[in-house]
Amino acid sequence: MKNILKYNFAFVALALFLTSCNSDDAVITNVSGTGNLVLEFDQSYGDNDLILSQANATSQGETLKISTIKYIVSNIVLTKADGTIFTYPKNQSYFIVDESKPSSHVIDLTDIPSGDYVKVKFGIGVDQQQFNLGADGQGNFLAEAQAADLLWSWSAGYKFLAFEGTFTSPIVTSDTSFMVHTGQTGTDYNYTEVTLDLPTKALVRPTITPDVHLIADVSKIIDGTNKIKLTDYNGMGMGAMIMSGAALPLVTANLNGMFHVDHVHND
Amino acid sequence: MKNKSSILLLLLFVCQLASATEKDTITRFTYQKMHLKSLSLEDDCDACGCSASGGSMGFSSMLNSNFVGIRYFYQSYTSRDGIFANSPWVDENFNTAQVWARIPVANKIQISALVPYHFHNRMLSTGEENIDGLGDITVLAMYTAIQTMKDSAVYSHKLQLGGGVKAPTGKYKSSNNLGTVNPGFQLGTGSWDYLLAAEYVVQRKKLGLNTMANYTFKTENKKLYQFGNQFNYGSTLFYLFDVDQIKLVPQVGFAGEVYETNRQYKQDVPDTSGDILFGKFGVEAGINKFSVGVNAMAPINQNLTGGKVEANYRWSVNLNYSL
Repeated sequence: MKNILKYNFAFVALALFLTSCNSDDAVITNVSGTGNLVLEFDQSYGDNDLILSQANATSQGETLKISTIKYIVSNIVLTKADGTIFTYPKNQSYFIVDESKPSSHVIDLTDIPSGDYVKVKFGIGVDQQQFNLGADGQGNFLAEAQAADLLWSWSAGYKFLAFEGTFTSPIVTSDTSFMVHTGQTGTDYNYTEVTLDLPTKALVRPTITPDVHLIADVSKIIDGTNKIKLTDYNGMGMGAMIMSGAALPLVTANLNGMFHVDHVHND
Repeated sequence: MKNKSSILLLLLFVCQLASATEKDTITRFTYQKMHLKSLSLEDDCDACGCSASGGSMGFSSMLNSNFVGIRYFYQSYTSRDGIFANSPWVDENFNTAQVWARIPVANKIQISALVPYHFHNRMLSTGEENIDGLGDITVLAMYTAIQTMKDSAVYSHKLQLGGGVKAPTGKYKSSNNLGTVNPGFQLGTGSWDYLLAAEYVVQRKKLGLNTMANYTFKTENKKLYQFGNQFNYGSTLFYLFDVDQIKLVPQVGFAGEVYETNRQYKQDVPDTSGDILFGKFGVEAGINKFSVGVNAMAPINQNLTGGKVEANYRWSVNLNYSL
């Protein structure tokens, strides 16, 4: 018996020894150079994958059939475990995520300093500083936003988020259109920023491109901290249009709680 | 002394296999090394270690302690193909044909070897996916620490202890793991893994109880992915019927598997630990030197990979020739 135990220990020792000499840790321990990182935005309705034009219930007794959800993601900032902050170059940091265009769900960020990242921050919309640069200061993004129908007009500005479809409620019994567009109003600018912790460190290396898989729960847009009944905005019976006024800051506040990081792949 | 030297020999054998990846002394393993190197540096979620060589199905037969044979086993899983509550569930079929043997090499030492060939398939939303090929080969040495003479007591006891190695002869391919679908959909772990095993059989006349436990230390593979260590345990009650020339051994028991968290690049991979307990029953029939066995396992309780993978059932059939 005793001898056997000894042999087993020998095995464990051997196992440990082989473990230590088998792996090639340099891939992760060598934190130098730059790498890439992918932000992947998947849209959900609650816990379910969002399926466009499928009926979804709100907590306010309304049923939504969503036809469009798109939004501007901007000003990406990554924070390392040691607190170091990397701000993605501002002039390259404007993106449009559109549920109906799968390729737009994936944002490829390049030339990121190697490091172990623990936090991501991004804006929803175009910040005022950038807008104040004027139409000429927008670069290609102005045309891009226009093509995606995320620009009212230059003076009225960008639509930061467009959420559209039809709805019904106990009062509004036939499918009636709704449009929720956030953006600047006379009184509020309505740009907001979201900061999220990563559940697993994103290890950016020349040979590792982490994929940060985010979920945007679109139910939160009108059914988040602030509850908005589309029926209340259907005064004329012409559809619920929420594009201005006091409701927009409430929607904007909801956008803050709309995102979470599901997981990180270090691929 | 003889036993000691046998174990030393085995250790040397293990070292030889291990160093082969570096020194290229054995052609088969040279191929293996090239193979591993050709794999791209991309990896995915996790694994429940289903690609192991039968896990809690055990390494032994109730009927014969020394044998060579072939075993086929089937494992049915259902996995969630995606990260959402409404993501579809897909069926996964794990088929394994295995050559197995338990051969005495010295008075109290037996060597077990398991050479699996896997052919797995699953139906994803994007179409059917198949993988097949050689799996991870396991070699185990068991030392009989206690054995009472059968006729000398009402109860007879046999305790065997041992250890072994699982070689990365099965292909570990991360592209099989798109999304968060069952990470165990692999031919192998891609790592050198080490096992400690114990088996205890107590018998009273024709009634016996076989209890086994084994623990696998899994190491990091070349892609810096490390499957979680795995603990298998099980207990099987069996009864020996002698009908003329035929020996019939019905058996019933349970078997469990416990998986620790997988790690990638030294970080824990969320939702990769888990455990499962199976109930099992089977029967073995022996005529002369041949025996045939069938076994079925159904889960009693399970919690695999954060609920993203569900084991349905397993069954196996084997044909052994006793030595």
